[in-house]
Amino acid sequence: MGTSASQLPKDLLSEYQSNPFKERICLVFSTSDNKDGSLTFEDFLDLLSAFSDSATSDIKSHYAFRIFDFDDDGTLDRKDLERLVNCLTGDTDETRLTSDEMKQLINNILEESDIDKDGTVNLSEFQHVISRSPDFVSSFKIVL
Amino acid sequence: MRRRGTLKTGLLPGGNVALEKIGLTEEDVRDEIMSEEQDLVKELVTMSTRECIQAIRDLPMCMEDKKNIRNQVLASKSSKKGFLLTCSADCSEQISLSLRRCGVGLSSARQAVRLWQGTMKEIGGRFGTSVLSYFSFLKWLLMFNTISFLVNFGFITIPQLVQTSGRSPDVRFTGLELITGAGYFNQTVMYYGGYINGTKDSDFKYNMQLAYFFTIAAYLVLCGVSLIYSMARSFRRNFVLSDLSSGSAWRLLCSWDFSMVNERAVRQRKNNLRVQLKESLSEMMQTNFLPVSERMKQLGIHLCTWVVSAGLAAGSCAAIYYLCQYNLQQIKVSQNPGNLKEEASTLLLPFVVSLFNLVIPLLYSLLSKVENYSNPRFQIYVIILRNVFLKMSILSILCFHWVNNVTTNVPMCWESYVGQDLYRLVIVNFFFSIFGSFFGEFLRRIIGTRCMPSIGIPEFDIATNVLDLIYAQTLTWIGIYFSPLLPLIQMIKLFLLFYLKKVSLNRNCQPPRRSGRAAQMQTIYIALLFFPSFVGALSLVAYTVWCLTPSDSCGPFQGLNTTFEAVSLWMEDTAIISEFSWAVWIYSHMIKSELFFFLLALIFLVLIYFFWQITQGRKMLIILLKEQIINEGKDKAFLLEKLRTFQNLSLVPYHAENVHGPQYFERTYQTESDYSEGYQRGACPEEDTPPFASSALMQAMMARRQAEEEDEEY
Repeated sequence: MGTSASQLPKDLLSEYQSNPFKERICLVFSTSDNKDGSLTFEDFLDLLSAFSDSATSDIKSHYAFRIFDFDDDGTLDRKDLERLVNCLTGDTDETRLTSDEMKQLINNILEESDIDKDGTVNLSEFQHVISRSPDFVSSFKIVL
Repeated sequence: MRRRGTLKTGLLPGGNVALEKIGLTEEDVRDEIMSEEQDLVKELVTMSTRECIQAIRDLPMCMEDKKNIRNQVLASKSSKKGFLLTCSADCSEQISLSLRRCGVGLSSARQAVRLWQGTMKEIGGRFGTSVLSYFSFLKWLLMFNTISFLVNFGFITIPQLVQTSGRSPDVRFTGLELITGAGYFNQTVMYYGGYINGTKDSDFKYNMQLAYFFTIAAYLVLCGVSLIYSMARSFRRNFVLSDLSSGSAWRLLCSWDFSMVNERAVRQRKNNLRVQLKESLSEMMQTNFLPVSERMKQLGIHLCTWVVSAGLAAGSCAAIYYLCQYNLQQIKVSQNPGNLKEEASTLLLPFVVSLFNLVIPLLYSLLSKVENYSNPRFQIYVIILRNVFLKMSILSILCFHWVNNVTTNVPMCWESYVGQDLYRLVIVNFFFSIFGSFFGEFLRRIIGTRCMPSIGIPEFDIATNVLDLIYAQTLTWIGIYFSPLLPLIQMIKLFLLFYLKKVSLNRNCQPPRRSGRAAQMQTIYIALLFFPSFVGALSLVAYTVWCLTPSDSCGPFQGLNTTFEAVSLWMEDTAIISEFSWAVWIYSHMIKSELFFFLLALIFLVLIYFFWQITQGRKMLIILLKEQIINEGKDKAFLLEKLRTFQNLSLVPYHAENVHGPQYFERTYQTESDYSEGYQRGACPEEDTPPFASSALMQAMMARRQAEEEDEEY
């Protein structure tokens, strides 16, 4: 498959996953300079380590936050949350939520998790919400 | 420690382009990151090697950065030690390194030999964590039974086999014994009657009475302690720390199963999630203002269904009781024991019990369709409660019958009779599990795909199966006293059941539609296993040991008034020996006296009240801290506003240089103050949300840099 210095491009990996977050995962774990989402062997190890059974809840929530942060600004604002919901429910016209439902849902989410009421969810608030959902750790797993 | 690693990603996610927008150079940010790293390395150097390694592993950075930090820490440590590296220090380093490597190797080897590891990963990947929880529960019960069997076999059965080697039972082995448990098995070590206290004759010095009593007591105490520990740990993790109130939106979003690889399963999961989100939204928006007549009608329906289900349970209990009485009468009037037809007729009782256990829950689920529960989680709780009530009432009727009627009316060993009853119940329960799987899953799939496609493929019914497991385990725990080798049967049964359920699951079922709260249901199942299952079994065994007279003609406790008398006699014998007078003192003053237990209970009540008050205080503290966070957010917005006005006043001479900076800054603060008033406004300026709107550190660094430049100017 290549040496440890070879790079795995993003589209090759996405063939093997039907995960809706496949692109974000590649981007987050990639340390390449040109930000094209390609993974070296060490990046791949990082990926598997973060998604393994023995990773702590801290590490998982940290990486989950980075995966959900679609615009990479360090916080989850309304746009990020909207894209997250669309990713999870389907992106075509029939499967999307209506804009009213989306607004209501995002308001509910922010009400639950935005503790300092600044309209965005930062890393600490996200980790606090995650610590209260015990199912998260067991579902944030990739098994080979 | 947690914050350190996040700083780098928090500052540099957008790359250089975003940084230029805000007027900061890469240098400033890199300086900050370097100083953070220095602090981190300093902190790591003070820890011991093992803690240091664990801390580095827990950093949320990429591997290269972690290696970097580890090298810095090692360099710093070795430079500290300087020239004090003596031979012994070097040796101890080598030894600790090799020990650590050994430990890691052992733990990975242990992972490899775990039972059913691969299968469970497969099931978890295809069906999700809630279905997997059934199989892990099964594996956990298998462990309980294995320990019980090993302990009983080692301490009770082997000495008995050694003692009676040479004698063989009179009855021939026919195949029917495997199901009825009587006949050939009756005179073997399978049941209580096969054990004899041999200290009186020969020079075999093994006190079977004490061994029998203490083995079973020790096992039950161990079981109880481990159940309480698991229950408390699970409760703390899944109920206390998690949010029981609304909180459904985030819970649903975070429940996305990353290990699903099947394309169709992923699509289905997305559909299900969308449906669930819509349902939860409509639930929240629905008002609870039903008219009074509607509510009365609802209440009436609930009451009716509860009365009907209680009536069904009572009816089945009565039927079983009369059947038990009939069985006893048959034994009294039986002409020749050992008749094949009579032995087969003993199977009628377990058959009827298992039939009730299978059919009545189906009636319950039909009833629950008539009722209309607003909360689907509440509906599941009600169904589970009714099923548990049914199963436990059937078991209590059987126990009542055994304890009251069987002890006086059975001519032979009554303990062996009870043991045989339990054996038959366990075996027939196994067959009914297979039938239930066959009808519930296989036939339903055939019907759903060929005849009536509207029903569709069935889902794996976790609640029914787990309650079945709990029921079978209760039977085993009750049966340990009467039939010490019953855990072996349960072990074989669980082993076969795992593979049967796995095959049925893979061929017949689809992944669950609703992403249920698997972790909370797990806690409830463990709690049900403890109470009423374990507590009920323990109280029955304790009552038997304490109050009932052992039968005169068989068993290790022949001739005593109660089983516990064996311990009293032993204590009297030991009192003569002066070295063990402390043990005798403990026995007579602590175990036998009621005052001691009364005082103990009083102390526990005081402690419980004390901890309850602490919990209340902590709840109030959480509310206060949340308010404090909100206030600090408002303070931050206020201070940033002040900074903006200050910079606006002083930024005029720099307008030419930082064209993007202050304009961008103004927009930042504008939207910042909008956000501080609340995010519910319709005209929220979402389109020009700047990426660093809430990065206070950026603005503070910018202000510091401008202040430095100001100083240079003047």
